[in-house]
Amino acid sequence: MDALQIIAEPRRRRILEMVWDNELSAGDIAGEFDITFGAVSQHLAVLRKSGFVDVRANGNQRLYRANKQSLGALQRVLETMWTETLDDLAAAVEGDET
Amino acid sequence: MTDPVKVSRYVAAPPSVVYSYLTESSRWARWQGAQADLDARPGGLFLMTMPDGARARGEFVELVPEERVVFTWGWIDHPGVPPGSSTVEIVIVPDRGGCVVTLSHSGLPDDERELHTTGWEHYLPRLVAVAEGSTLEPDRGPGAQRS
Repeated sequence: MDALQIIAEPRRRRILEMVWDNELSAGDIAGEFDITFGAVSQHLAVLRKSGFVDVRANGNQRLYRANKQSLGALQRVLETMWTETLDDLAAAVEGDET
Repeated sequence: MTDPVKVSRYVAAPPSVVYSYLTESSRWARWQGAQADLDARPGGLFLMTMPDGARARGEFVELVPEERVVFTWGWIDHPGVPPGSSTVEIVIVPDRGGCVVTLSHSGLPDDERELHTTGWEHYLPRLVAVAEGSTLEPDRGPGAQRS
């Protein structure tokens, strides 16, 4: 699977967004989604294998954090996408108020 | 590799009933997944499709009626736990008019222990509930229950 295929999947992008600036456990991540543990486990495994997330052990937990460097140019693409979504939302809200 | 993930629960139902929920496709799907395709004999297919499309696949290894079911387990298109890479053993022991069901999932990589523990801790109580005669809401996974 190439880098674009990996981030094309919306749930994997959402996982990356969640662990972009925070370290979260696999359980925390799974709790955010209305999907089964199989699907979460699968997405995390793809992200681990690609190196887009780093994982470290903390007792029984596995803690995840995005590895931004490993994404290369895609780091900017993702950050822009998330910022623009927020900007669009802000603009829509402001539009409603006027 | 590490110790098996182990989850155990008491069921107020006879071992034969619990066994039927582990070996009959339509009964399995009442506690886990949207669909199960089980060919419950040694070497037979184990295929379970989650409501979100994730599919667990393996092969039955051992079946002892009312006592024990062993099958291999993995997720299709999963680089960490591919089909056949791990083993699930479910043991049923008669107890106090019902039975105790113990599920052990061995052969999982360390990184997968936490999520698979969460998963089985979500599903075993559902097996208990259906075996005791309850009708459950369709499965949506552990995250759905927490929120």
